[in-house]
Amino acid sequence: MVAGGVTYFSKARKDKTQEELVAEAARMALYDNDINLDKSEIDGSVTGYFSDHFEQQLKFGAIITDYLGLNPKSHVRIEGGGATGGLAIREGYAQVASGLLDVVMVIGFEKMSEVNTAKGNEFIALASDTDFDFPVGGYYSGYYALMARRHMEEFGTTEEQMAMVAVKNRNNAQHNKFAQTNPKMNPYGMKDGGSIKVEDVLKSPYIAYPLKRLDICLMSDGASVAILASEEKAKKITDTPVWITGSGAGSDAMRAGDRPRDKKSLPLLPHEKPEWYKNLDYPGVHSFRAGREAARQAYKMAGITNPLKQLDVIELHDAYTSSEIQTYEDLGLAKYGDGGKLVQEGQTLVDGEVAVNPSGGLIGNMHAVGATGIMQAVEVFWQLQGVAGKFHGSDKTQVKGAETGLIHSHAGTGTYVTVSVLRR
Amino acid sequence: MTEVFSIDPLIIKNDYYIEYRHSYGKTSPFFTNLAKGKIMATHCEHCNKTYLPPRNDCPECLRETKWVEISGKGTIHTFSTMYFAGEKFLKDVPFYLAYVELEGVDTLFLTRIKTKNPEKLKIGMKIKLKTARDPEWRATDVWAEPDE
Repeated sequence: MVAGGVTYFSKARKDKTQEELVAEAARMALYDNDINLDKSEIDGSVTGYFSDHFEQQLKFGAIITDYLGLNPKSHVRIEGGGATGGLAIREGYAQVASGLLDVVMVIGFEKMSEVNTAKGNEFIALASDTDFDFPVGGYYSGYYALMARRHMEEFGTTEEQMAMVAVKNRNNAQHNKFAQTNPKMNPYGMKDGGSIKVEDVLKSPYIAYPLKRLDICLMSDGASVAILASEEKAKKITDTPVWITGSGAGSDAMRAGDRPRDKKSLPLLPHEKPEWYKNLDYPGVHSFRAGREAARQAYKMAGITNPLKQLDVIELHDAYTSSEIQTYEDLGLAKYGDGGKLVQEGQTLVDGEVAVNPSGGLIGNMHAVGATGIMQAVEVFWQLQGVAGKFHGSDKTQVKGAETGLIHSHAGTGTYVTVSVLRR
Repeated sequence: MTEVFSIDPLIIKNDYYIEYRHSYGKTSPFFTNLAKGKIMATHCEHCNKTYLPPRNDCPECLRETKWVEISGKGTIHTFSTMYFAGEKFLKDVPFYLAYVELEGVDTLFLTRIKTKNPEKLKIGMKIKLKTARDPEWRATDVWAEPDE
Protein backbone atom coordinates (compact mmCIF):
# COMPACT_ATOMS: atom_id res chain seq x y z
CA MET A 1 0.00 0.00 0.00
CA VAL A 2 1.41 3.36 -1.01
CA ALA A 3 -1.28 5.95 -0.27
CA GLY A 4 -4.57 6.55 1.50
CA GLY A 5 -7.24 9.20 1.73
CA VAL A 6 -10.55 9.73 3.50
CA THR A 7 -13.28 12.36 3.63
CA TYR A 8 -14.64 14.13 6.63
CA PHE A 9 -17.32 11.72 7.83
CA SER A 10 -20.76 12.93 8.75
CA LYS A 11 -24.33 11.83 9.42
CA ALA A 12 -25.20 13.82 6.29
CA ARG A 13 -22.80 15.35 3.77
CA LYS A 14 -25.51 17.19 1.88
CA ASP A 15 -22.87 19.59 0.55
CA LYS A 16 -21.49 17.06 -1.94
CA THR A 17 -22.72 14.26 -4.17
CA GLN A 18 -21.37 10.75 -3.72
CA GLU A 19 -18.86 11.13 -6.56
CA GLU A 20 -17.71 14.49 -5.19
CA LEU A 21 -17.06 12.83 -1.83
CA VAL A 22 -15.04 10.10 -3.54
CA ALA A 23 -12.98 12.77 -5.31
CA GLU A 24 -12.28 14.39 -1.92
CA ALA A 25 -10.77 11.12 -0.63
CA ALA A 26 -8.96 10.31 -3.90
CA ARG A 27 -7.38 13.79 -4.00
CA MET A 28 -6.04 13.25 -0.48
CA ALA A 29 -4.62 9.87 -1.49
CA LEU A 30 -2.86 11.34 -4.52
CA TYR A 31 -1.65 14.68 -3.15
CA ASP A 32 -1.39 14.54 0.65
CA ASN A 33 0.69 11.37 0.94
CA ASP A 34 4.42 11.69 0.31
CA ILE A 35 4.48 9.79 -3.00
CA ASN A 36 5.89 9.95 -6.48
CA LEU A 37 2.90 8.76 -8.49
CA ASP A 38 1.07 10.33 -11.40
CA LYS A 39 -2.62 9.56 -11.65
CA SER A 40 -2.03 8.19 -15.16
CA GLU A 41 0.04 5.35 -13.63
CA ILE A 42 -3.06 3.84 -12.01
CA ASP A 43 -3.92 0.71 -13.99
CA GLY A 44 -7.41 0.13 -12.70
CA SER A 45 -9.85 0.47 -9.85
CA VAL A 46 -11.99 -1.52 -7.46
CA THR A 47 -15.07 0.11 -5.97
CA GLY A 48 -16.75 -1.13 -2.81
CA TYR A 49 -20.25 0.01 -1.92
CA PHE A 50 -22.97 -1.90 -0.15
CA SER A 51 -26.45 -0.86 -1.17
CA ASP A 52 -27.91 0.46 -4.39
CA HIS A 53 -31.00 1.45 -2.39
CA PHE A 54 -29.43 4.32 -0.46
CA GLU A 55 -29.19 6.48 -3.55
CA GLN A 56 -31.53 4.71 -5.95
CA GLN A 57 -28.62 4.39 -8.36
CA LEU A 58 -27.43 1.06 -9.66
CA LYS A 59 -23.94 0.57 -11.11
CA PHE A 60 -22.54 3.56 -9.24
CA GLY A 61 -19.05 2.29 -10.01
CA ALA A 62 -19.41 3.53 -13.58
CA ILE A 63 -20.14 7.05 -12.34
CA ILE A 64 -17.06 6.88 -10.09
CA THR A 65 -14.57 5.71 -12.73
CA ASP A 66 -15.85 8.44 -15.04
CA TYR A 67 -15.78 11.15 -12.36
CA LEU A 68 -12.24 10.25 -11.26
CA GLY A 69 -11.02 10.06 -14.86
CA LEU A 70 -10.06 6.38 -14.60
CA ASN A 71 -11.69 5.27 -17.87
CA PRO A 72 -11.05 3.17 -19.94
CA LYS A 73 -9.05 1.13 -17.42
CA SER A 74 -10.03 -2.03 -15.57
CA HIS A 75 -12.79 -1.77 -12.95
CA VAL A 76 -14.83 -4.11 -10.78
CA ARG A 77 -17.42 -3.48 -8.08
CA ILE A 78 -17.24 -5.50 -4.87
CA GLU A 79 -20.20 -5.91 -2.53
CA GLY A 80 -20.20 -7.88 0.68
CA GLY A 81 -22.38 -6.06 3.23
CA GLY A 82 -20.36 -4.65 6.10
CA ALA A 83 -17.23 -6.44 4.83
CA THR A 84 -17.43 -4.70 1.45
CA GLY A 85 -14.38 -2.56 2.20
CA GLY A 86 -12.24 -5.44 3.42
CA LEU A 87 -13.25 -7.57 0.44
CA ALA A 88 -12.41 -4.67 -1.92
CA ILE A 89 -8.94 -4.39 -0.35
CA ARG A 90 -8.51 -8.16 -0.76
CA GLU A 91 -9.60 -7.92 -4.40
CA GLY A 92 -7.15 -5.06 -5.06
CA TYR A 93 -4.44 -7.07 -3.32
CA ALA A 94 -5.24 -10.14 -5.44
CA GLN A 95 -5.13 -8.12 -8.67
CA VAL A 96 -1.69 -6.75 -7.80
CA ALA A 97 -0.27 -9.93 -6.26
CA SER A 98 -1.37 -11.96 -9.29
CA GLY A 99 0.46 -9.57 -11.60
CA LEU A 100 -2.75 -8.60 -13.37
CA LEU A 101 -2.27 -4.90 -12.57
CA ASP A 102 0.64 -2.90 -11.14
CA VAL A 103 -1.21 -0.04 -9.44
CA VAL A 104 -4.82 -0.26 -8.24
CA MET A 105 -7.00 2.39 -6.64
CA VAL A 106 -9.40 0.79 -4.15
CA ILE A 107 -12.37 3.07 -3.53
CA GLY A 108 -15.09 2.70 -0.91
CA PHE A 109 -18.13 4.88 -0.39
CA GLU A 110 -21.67 5.09 0.93
CA LYS A 111 -24.11 7.96 1.31
CA MET A 112 -26.67 6.75 3.81
CA SER A 113 -28.32 10.08 4.62
CA GLU A 114 -30.70 10.25 1.68
CA VAL A 115 -33.16 8.01 3.53
CA ASN A 116 -34.30 8.31 7.17
CA THR A 117 -32.52 6.27 9.88
CA ALA A 118 -35.32 3.67 10.26
CA LYS A 119 -35.40 3.15 6.48
CA GLY A 120 -31.60 2.86 6.51
CA ASN A 121 -31.87 0.23 9.24
CA GLU A 122 -34.44 -1.55 7.10
CA PHE A 123 -32.11 -1.61 4.07
CA ILE A 124 -29.38 -3.06 6.26
CA ALA A 125 -31.90 -5.56 7.68
CA LEU A 126 -32.69 -6.65 4.12
CA ALA A 127 -29.11 -7.97 4.16
CA SER A 128 -30.40 -10.65 6.52
CA ASP A 129 -32.70 -13.57 5.62
CA THR A 130 -35.89 -11.99 4.25
CA ASP A 131 -38.07 -15.14 4.46
CA PHE A 132 -37.51 -16.03 8.12
CA ASP A 133 -35.52 -13.43 10.06
CA PHE A 134 -36.48 -9.99 8.73
CA PRO A 135 -40.28 -10.63 8.65
CA VAL A 136 -40.52 -11.30 12.40
CA GLY A 137 -39.01 -7.88 13.07
CA GLY A 138 -35.38 -8.89 12.87
CA TYR A 139 -32.80 -6.17 12.27
CA TYR A 140 -29.14 -5.90 13.02
CA SER A 141 -29.22 -4.32 16.47
CA GLY A 142 -31.71 -7.04 17.39
CA TYR A 143 -29.53 -9.88 16.07
CA TYR A 144 -26.47 -8.47 17.85
CA ALA A 145 -28.45 -8.03 21.06
CA LEU A 146 -29.42 -11.72 20.96
CA MET A 147 -25.79 -12.67 20.38
CA ALA A 148 -24.55 -10.30 23.11
CA ARG A 149 -26.99 -11.71 25.65
CA ARG A 150 -25.79 -15.22 24.91
CA HIS A 151 -22.18 -14.02 25.25
CA MET A 152 -23.09 -12.60 28.68
CA GLU A 153 -24.79 -15.89 29.65
CA GLU A 154 -21.94 -18.04 28.36
CA PHE A 155 -18.97 -16.00 29.62
CA GLY A 156 -20.20 -13.43 32.14
CA THR A 157 -19.52 -10.43 29.92
CA THR A 158 -21.06 -7.26 31.38
CA GLU A 159 -22.78 -4.13 30.09
CA GLU A 160 -20.03 -2.11 31.80
CA GLN A 161 -17.35 -3.89 29.75
CA MET A 162 -19.30 -3.14 26.58
CA ALA A 163 -19.61 0.50 27.67
CA MET A 164 -15.81 0.64 28.05
CA VAL A 165 -15.47 -0.19 24.36
CA ALA A 166 -17.79 2.70 23.46
CA VAL A 167 -15.85 5.09 25.69
CA LYS A 168 -12.48 4.01 24.26
CA ASN A 169 -13.55 4.34 20.63
CA ARG A 170 -15.62 7.48 21.00
CA ASN A 171 -12.87 9.19 22.96
CA ASN A 172 -10.15 8.14 20.48
CA ALA A 173 -12.30 9.80 17.80
CA GLN A 174 -12.02 13.12 19.62
CA HIS A 175 -8.42 13.35 18.33
CA ASN A 176 -9.26 12.41 14.73
CA LYS A 177 -10.46 15.39 12.72
CA PHE A 178 -12.31 13.19 10.19
CA ALA A 179 -14.49 11.51 12.84
CA GLN A 180 -18.23 12.02 12.80
CA THR A 181 -18.46 12.23 16.61
CA ASN A 182 -15.77 14.95 16.78
CA PRO A 183 -17.56 18.31 16.53
CA LYS A 184 -14.48 20.25 17.65
CA MET A 185 -12.28 19.24 14.71
CA ASN A 186 -14.71 18.01 12.02
CA PRO A 187 -16.70 20.82 10.37
CA TYR A 188 -19.40 18.25 9.52
CA GLY A 189 -19.28 16.52 12.94
CA MET A 190 -22.22 15.61 15.17
CA LYS A 191 -23.21 18.58 17.29
CA ASP A 192 -23.98 16.29 20.23
CA GLY A 193 -20.73 14.35 19.78
CA GLY A 194 -17.69 14.75 22.02
CA SER A 195 -16.13 12.56 24.65
CA ILE A 196 -18.21 10.26 26.86
CA LYS A 197 -17.98 8.30 30.13
CA VAL A 198 -19.11 4.78 31.04
CA GLU A 199 -22.15 6.25 32.88
CA ASP A 200 -23.25 8.06 29.68
CA VAL A 201 -23.31 4.77 27.80
CA LEU A 202 -25.15 2.96 30.59
CA LYS A 203 -27.72 5.77 30.79
CA SER A 204 -28.32 5.98 27.04
CA PRO A 205 -31.64 4.47 25.92
CA TYR A 206 -31.92 0.77 25.14
CA ILE A 207 -32.32 -0.08 21.46
CA ALA A 208 -32.40 -3.86 22.02
CA TYR A 209 -31.30 -5.18 25.41
CA PRO A 210 -28.35 -5.19 26.29
CA LEU A 211 -27.42 -2.75 23.52
CA LYS A 212 -27.97 0.93 24.12
CA ARG A 213 -27.72 3.85 21.73
CA LEU A 214 -24.05 4.50 22.59
CA ASP A 215 -23.14 0.81 22.13
CA ILE A 216 -24.09 1.02 18.47
CA CYS A 217 -22.09 2.26 15.50
CA LEU A 218 -22.75 5.31 13.39
CA MET A 219 -24.42 5.62 10.01
CA SER A 220 -22.38 7.88 7.80
CA ASP A 221 -21.78 9.61 4.52
CA GLY A 222 -18.25 9.45 3.23
CA ALA A 223 -15.58 7.81 1.14
CA SER A 224 -12.11 6.35 1.50
CA VAL A 225 -9.40 5.44 -0.98
CA ALA A 226 -6.34 3.18 -0.79
CA ILE A 227 -3.72 2.85 -3.50
CA LEU A 228 -2.02 -0.54 -3.79
CA ALA A 229 1.02 -1.27 -5.94
CA SER A 230 3.31 -4.14 -6.81
CA GLU A 231 6.52 -4.47 -4.80
CA GLU A 232 8.66 -3.05 -7.59
CA LYS A 233 6.32 -0.13 -8.28
CA ALA A 234 5.73 0.57 -4.57
CA LYS A 235 9.44 1.09 -3.95
CA LYS A 236 9.53 3.71 -6.73
CA ILE A 237 6.39 5.47 -5.49
CA THR A 238 7.41 5.87 -1.84
CA ASP A 239 10.29 5.31 0.57
CA THR A 240 7.82 4.12 3.21
CA PRO A 241 5.45 1.58 1.63
CA VAL A 242 3.34 -0.61 3.91
CA TRP A 243 3.29 -4.28 2.98
CA ILE A 244 0.19 -6.47 3.06
CA THR A 245 1.74 -9.64 4.45
CA GLY A 246 -1.40 -11.65 5.14
CA SER A 247 -4.93 -11.80 3.79
CA GLY A 248 -7.73 -14.07 4.98
CA ALA A 249 -11.45 -14.35 4.36
CA GLY A 250 -14.13 -16.44 6.01
CA SER A 251 -17.86 -17.01 5.67
CA ASP A 252 -20.82 -18.26 7.68
CA ALA A 253 -24.58 -18.85 7.57
CA MET A 254 -26.85 -15.91 6.78
CA ARG A 255 -29.09 -16.88 9.70
CA ALA A 256 -26.97 -16.92 12.85
CA GLY A 257 -29.24 -19.64 14.24
CA ASP A 258 -28.06 -22.03 11.52
CA ARG A 259 -24.44 -21.91 12.67
CA PRO A 260 -23.15 -25.06 14.36
CA ARG A 261 -23.00 -25.48 18.12
CA ASP A 262 -20.51 -28.25 18.68
CA LYS A 263 -16.99 -28.98 19.87
CA LYS A 264 -15.39 -29.75 16.52
CA SER A 265 -16.10 -26.53 14.59
CA LEU A 266 -13.42 -24.43 16.30
CA PRO A 267 -10.21 -23.86 14.31
CA LEU A 268 -7.40 -23.18 16.79
CA LEU A 269 -4.86 -20.40 16.32
CA PRO A 270 -1.14 -21.23 16.74
CA HIS A 271 -0.90 -20.01 20.37
CA GLU A 272 -4.09 -21.73 21.55
CA LYS A 273 -4.41 -25.06 23.37
CA PRO A 274 -7.29 -27.50 22.77
CA GLU A 275 -7.91 -27.89 26.53
CA TRP A 276 -8.87 -24.18 26.79
CA TYR A 277 -12.08 -24.86 24.92
CA LYS A 278 -13.03 -28.44 25.71
CA ASN A 279 -16.40 -27.26 27.08
CA LEU A 280 -17.11 -24.65 24.41
CA ASP A 281 -19.87 -25.20 21.86
CA TYR A 282 -18.73 -23.27 18.82
CA PRO A 283 -19.46 -20.87 17.23
CA GLY A 284 -23.08 -20.82 18.45
CA VAL A 285 -24.47 -17.33 18.36
CA HIS A 286 -21.81 -15.97 20.73
CA SER A 287 -18.82 -16.09 18.37
CA PHE A 288 -17.92 -15.48 14.74
CA ARG A 289 -16.48 -18.52 12.99
CA ALA A 290 -15.83 -16.50 9.80
CA GLY A 291 -13.67 -14.02 11.75
CA ARG A 292 -11.72 -16.85 13.34
CA GLU A 293 -11.19 -18.50 9.94
CA ALA A 294 -10.09 -15.22 8.29
CA ALA A 295 -7.64 -14.60 11.13
CA ARG A 296 -6.28 -18.14 10.92
CA GLN A 297 -5.52 -17.73 7.21
CA ALA A 298 -4.03 -14.25 7.54
CA TYR A 299 -1.86 -15.20 10.56
CA LYS A 300 -0.53 -18.26 8.76
CA MET A 301 0.42 -16.19 5.73
CA ALA A 302 1.95 -13.36 7.77
CA GLY A 303 3.69 -15.55 10.36
CA ILE A 304 1.65 -14.29 13.32
CA THR A 305 1.90 -16.86 16.11
CA ASN A 306 1.03 -14.64 19.10
CA PRO A 307 -1.36 -11.91 17.94
CA LEU A 308 -1.58 -9.95 21.20
CA LYS A 309 2.21 -9.58 21.36
CA GLN A 310 2.98 -9.25 17.66
CA LEU A 311 0.26 -6.84 16.60
CA ASP A 312 0.68 -3.18 17.54
CA VAL A 313 -2.45 -1.64 16.07
CA ILE A 314 -5.82 -2.96 14.90
CA GLU A 315 -8.78 -1.33 13.23
CA LEU A 316 -11.66 -3.75 13.74
CA HIS A 317 -15.32 -3.71 12.80
CA ASP A 318 -16.96 -2.46 16.02
CA ALA A 319 -20.52 -2.38 14.67
CA TYR A 320 -21.47 -2.94 18.30
CA THR A 321 -19.45 -2.74 21.50
CA SER A 322 -20.36 -6.38 22.07
CA SER A 323 -19.01 -7.40 18.67
CA GLU A 324 -15.66 -5.72 19.39
CA ILE A 325 -15.42 -7.92 22.49
CA GLN A 326 -16.51 -11.01 20.53
CA THR A 327 -13.93 -10.19 17.85
CA TYR A 328 -11.04 -9.88 20.36
CA GLU A 329 -11.68 -13.57 21.01
CA ASP A 330 -12.04 -14.58 17.36
CA LEU A 331 -8.75 -12.83 16.59
CA GLY A 332 -7.07 -14.65 19.47
CA LEU A 333 -6.24 -11.46 21.42
CA ALA A 334 -7.98 -13.06 24.40
CA LYS A 335 -9.30 -16.53 25.17
CA TYR A 336 -12.97 -17.11 24.40
CA GLY A 337 -14.78 -15.56 27.32
CA ASP A 338 -11.97 -13.17 28.24
CA GLY A 339 -12.74 -10.44 25.67
CA GLY A 340 -14.52 -8.26 28.22
CA LYS A 341 -11.51 -8.42 30.54
CA LEU A 342 -9.17 -7.28 27.75
CA VAL A 343 -10.94 -3.94 27.41
CA GLN A 344 -11.46 -3.67 31.17
CA GLU A 345 -7.70 -4.01 31.73
CA GLY A 346 -7.08 -1.21 29.23
CA GLN A 347 -5.05 -3.47 26.95
CA THR A 348 -6.73 -2.13 23.79
CA LEU A 349 -6.22 1.59 24.52
CA VAL A 350 -3.94 3.61 22.21
CA ASP A 351 -1.05 3.05 24.66
CA GLY A 352 -2.15 -0.50 25.61
CA GLU A 353 -0.69 -3.86 24.58
CA VAL A 354 -2.47 -3.59 21.22
CA ALA A 355 -4.28 -0.40 20.22
CA VAL A 356 -7.74 -1.24 18.88
CA ASN A 357 -9.59 1.38 16.87
CA PRO A 358 -7.37 4.39 17.52
CA SER A 359 -9.32 6.16 14.74
CA GLY A 360 -12.51 5.77 16.75
CA GLY A 361 -13.72 2.83 14.67
CA LEU A 362 -17.33 2.49 13.57
CA ILE A 363 -18.57 3.80 16.92
CA GLY A 364 -16.47 6.96 17.04
CA ASN A 365 -15.21 7.63 13.53
CA MET A 366 -17.64 6.45 10.86
CA HIS A 367 -19.62 3.65 9.26
CA ALA A 368 -20.31 4.59 5.67
CA VAL A 369 -20.60 0.89 4.89
CA GLY A 370 -18.57 0.46 1.66
CA ALA A 371 -15.97 2.97 2.84
CA THR A 372 -15.42 1.40 6.25
CA GLY A 373 -12.98 -1.43 5.51
CA ILE A 374 -10.94 0.88 3.29
CA MET A 375 -10.90 3.57 5.99
CA GLN A 376 -9.41 0.86 8.26
CA ALA A 377 -6.66 0.17 5.71
CA VAL A 378 -5.90 3.88 5.40
CA GLU A 379 -5.80 4.31 9.18
CA VAL A 380 -3.44 1.38 9.77
CA PHE A 381 -1.31 2.52 6.81
CA TRP A 382 -0.87 5.97 8.40
CA GLN A 383 -0.20 4.35 11.78
CA LEU A 384 2.58 2.18 10.37
CA GLN A 385 4.08 5.13 8.49
CA GLY A 386 3.97 7.08 11.77
CA VAL A 387 1.93 9.90 10.21
CA ALA A 388 -1.48 9.28 11.83
CA GLY A 389 -1.06 12.40 13.96
CA LYS A 390 -0.32 14.56 10.93
CA PHE A 391 -3.48 13.42 9.17
CA HIS A 392 -5.70 13.40 12.26
CA GLY A 393 -4.61 16.84 13.40
CA SER A 394 -3.54 15.50 16.83
CA ASP A 395 -0.61 13.31 17.87
CA LYS A 396 -2.72 11.53 20.50
CA THR A 397 -3.93 8.84 18.11
CA GLN A 398 -0.48 7.72 16.94
CA VAL A 399 0.53 4.32 18.27
CA LYS A 400 4.21 4.82 19.12
CA GLY A 401 6.57 2.69 17.08
CA ALA A 402 3.82 0.65 15.44
CA GLU A 403 5.33 -1.92 13.08
CA THR A 404 2.59 -4.49 12.52
CA GLY A 405 -1.12 -3.83 12.12
CA LEU A 406 -4.32 -5.65 11.33
CA ILE A 407 -7.60 -4.71 9.69
CA HIS A 408 -10.80 -6.65 10.26
CA SER A 409 -13.88 -6.15 8.09
CA HIS A 410 -17.14 -7.89 9.00
CA ALA A 411 -20.56 -8.36 7.40
CA GLY A 412 -23.97 -9.43 8.61
CA THR A 413 -24.04 -11.53 11.75
CA GLY A 414 -20.57 -12.71 10.71
CA THR A 415 -21.43 -13.92 7.20
CA TYR A 416 -18.30 -12.57 5.54
CA VAL A 417 -15.21 -11.50 7.44
CA THR A 418 -11.83 -10.45 6.10
CA VAL A 419 -8.59 -10.00 8.02
CA SER A 420 -5.44 -8.45 6.59
CA VAL A 421 -2.07 -8.07 8.25
CA LEU A 422 -0.02 -5.00 7.32
CA ARG A 423 3.64 -4.40 8.10
CA ARG A 424 5.92 -1.38 7.93
CA MET B 1 -44.95 19.43 -8.12
CA THR B 2 -41.54 18.28 -6.95
CA GLU B 3 -41.09 18.70 -3.21
CA VAL B 4 -37.99 20.83 -2.48
CA PHE B 5 -36.22 20.68 0.89
CA SER B 6 -33.33 23.08 0.24
CA ILE B 7 -31.97 25.31 -2.53
CA ASP B 8 -28.23 25.29 -1.72
CA PRO B 9 -27.46 22.46 -2.01
CA LEU B 10 -30.61 21.68 -3.98
CA ILE B 11 -32.38 18.77 -2.23
CA ILE B 12 -35.55 17.28 -3.73
CA LYS B 13 -37.87 14.40 -2.83
CA ASN B 14 -37.75 11.12 -4.78
CA ASP B 15 -39.69 7.96 -4.01
CA TYR B 16 -39.87 4.44 -5.34
CA TYR B 17 -42.33 1.61 -4.79
CA ILE B 18 -41.80 -2.03 -5.79
CA GLU B 19 -44.25 -4.94 -5.72
CA TYR B 20 -42.71 -8.40 -5.61
CA ARG B 21 -44.38 -11.75 -6.41
CA HIS B 22 -42.33 -13.78 -4.01
CA SER B 23 -42.20 -17.60 -4.19
CA TYR B 24 -41.32 -19.64 -1.12
CA GLY B 25 -40.39 -22.46 -3.50
CA LYS B 26 -39.90 -25.84 -1.82
CA THR B 27 -40.24 -24.32 1.64
CA SER B 28 -43.91 -23.50 0.84
CA PRO B 29 -45.24 -26.48 2.90
CA PHE B 30 -43.79 -24.90 6.04
CA PHE B 31 -46.10 -21.93 5.61
CA THR B 32 -49.16 -23.85 4.37
CA ASN B 33 -48.87 -26.33 7.28
CA LEU B 34 -48.71 -23.49 9.79
CA ALA B 35 -52.18 -22.58 8.58
CA LYS B 36 -53.24 -26.11 9.68
CA GLY B 37 -51.58 -25.68 13.05
CA LYS B 38 -48.68 -28.00 12.19
CA ILE B 39 -45.00 -27.13 12.58
CA MET B 40 -42.89 -28.83 9.97
CA ALA B 41 -39.13 -29.02 9.71
CA THR B 42 -36.88 -30.70 7.15
CA HIS B 43 -34.75 -33.74 7.95
CA CYS B 44 -31.72 -35.15 6.14
CA GLU B 45 -31.75 -38.93 6.53
CA HIS B 46 -28.14 -39.19 5.42
CA CYS B 47 -26.70 -36.68 7.91
CA ASN B 48 -29.42 -37.24 10.53
CA LYS B 49 -29.93 -33.48 10.88
CA THR B 50 -33.16 -31.55 11.18
CA TYR B 51 -33.39 -27.98 9.99
CA LEU B 52 -35.73 -25.17 10.93
CA PRO B 53 -35.99 -22.80 9.06
CA PRO B 54 -36.51 -25.58 6.53
CA ARG B 55 -34.15 -26.34 3.66
CA ASN B 56 -35.04 -28.49 0.67
CA ASP B 57 -31.38 -29.38 0.29
CA CYS B 58 -29.10 -30.49 3.13
CA PRO B 59 -26.18 -28.04 3.37
CA GLU B 60 -23.86 -30.81 4.61
CA CYS B 61 -24.34 -33.39 1.84
CA LEU B 62 -26.59 -31.61 -0.70
CA ARG B 63 -29.07 -34.50 -0.73
CA GLU B 64 -32.76 -33.59 -0.65
CA THR B 65 -34.40 -33.46 2.78
CA LYS B 66 -37.78 -34.83 3.92
CA TRP B 67 -40.52 -33.05 5.85
CA VAL B 68 -41.07 -34.07 9.48
CA GLU B 69 -43.57 -32.71 11.97
CA ILE B 70 -42.08 -31.40 15.22
CA SER B 71 -43.67 -30.81 18.60
CA GLY B 72 -42.85 -27.10 18.69
CA LYS B 73 -41.70 -27.48 22.29
CA GLY B 74 -38.37 -26.08 23.32
CA THR B 75 -36.39 -23.61 25.39
CA ILE B 76 -35.11 -20.05 25.04
CA HIS B 77 -31.46 -20.03 23.92
CA THR B 78 -31.22 -16.22 24.03
CA PHE B 79 -33.75 -13.38 23.85
CA SER B 80 -33.97 -9.61 23.73
CA THR B 81 -36.45 -6.77 23.90
CA MET B 82 -36.65 -4.60 20.78
CA TYR B 83 -37.18 -0.94 21.64
CA PHE B 84 -36.41 0.16 18.08
CA ALA B 85 -36.71 -1.56 14.69
CA GLY B 86 -36.54 -1.14 10.95
CA GLU B 87 -39.17 1.21 9.55
CA LYS B 88 -41.62 -1.61 8.84
CA PHE B 89 -41.74 -2.79 12.46
CA LEU B 90 -41.49 0.49 14.39
CA LYS B 91 -45.23 0.24 15.10
CA ASP B 92 -44.67 -3.06 16.98
CA VAL B 93 -42.10 -1.93 19.58
CA PRO B 94 -41.46 -3.01 22.23
CA PHE B 95 -41.48 -6.66 21.16
CA TYR B 96 -39.45 -9.74 22.12
CA LEU B 97 -37.23 -11.80 19.84
CA ALA B 98 -35.59 -15.09 20.76
CA TYR B 99 -33.51 -17.84 19.33
CA VAL B 100 -35.21 -21.01 20.56
CA GLU B 101 -33.90 -24.56 20.83
CA LEU B 102 -36.64 -26.90 19.61
CA GLU B 103 -37.12 -30.60 20.36
CA GLY B 104 -35.76 -32.66 17.48
CA VAL B 105 -34.23 -29.67 15.65
CA ASP B 106 -30.49 -29.08 15.25
CA THR B 107 -30.61 -25.38 14.38
CA LEU B 108 -31.84 -22.43 16.43
CA PHE B 109 -35.09 -20.80 15.30
CA LEU B 110 -35.59 -17.03 15.45
CA THR B 111 -39.08 -16.08 16.52
CA ARG B 112 -41.09 -13.55 18.47
CA ILE B 113 -42.13 -14.34 22.02
CA LYS B 114 -45.62 -13.31 23.02
CA THR B 115 -46.17 -13.06 26.75
CA LYS B 116 -48.09 -11.01 29.27
CA ASN B 117 -45.17 -11.37 31.72
CA PRO B 118 -42.04 -10.29 29.85
CA GLU B 119 -40.18 -9.75 33.12
CA LYS B 120 -40.27 -13.55 33.66
CA LEU B 121 -38.50 -14.38 30.38
CA LYS B 122 -35.12 -16.02 30.88
CA ILE B 123 -32.59 -18.15 29.06
CA GLY B 124 -33.54 -21.84 29.45
CA MET B 125 -37.26 -21.07 29.94
CA LYS B 126 -39.60 -23.64 28.36
CA ILE B 127 -41.59 -22.38 25.39
CA LYS B 128 -44.03 -23.76 22.85
CA LEU B 129 -44.56 -22.56 19.30
CA LYS B 130 -48.05 -21.31 18.47
CA THR B 131 -49.57 -20.77 15.04
CA ALA B 132 -51.91 -18.10 13.71
CA ARG B 133 -55.57 -18.95 13.07
CA ASP B 134 -55.70 -16.45 10.20
CA PRO B 135 -52.49 -16.90 8.24
CA GLU B 136 -50.61 -14.02 6.67
CA TRP B 137 -48.34 -16.59 4.94
CA ARG B 138 -45.29 -15.08 6.62
CA ALA B 139 -42.85 -16.16 9.34
CA THR B 140 -45.00 -14.20 11.80
CA ASP B 141 -47.65 -16.96 11.45
CA VAL B 142 -45.62 -18.79 14.11
CA TRP B 143 -44.33 -17.49 17.44
CA ALA B 144 -43.31 -18.74 20.87
CA GLU B 145 -45.16 -18.50 24.17
CA PRO B 146 -43.88 -19.47 27.63
CA ASP B 147 -44.78 -23.08 28.49
CA GLU B 148 -44.15 -23.32 32.22
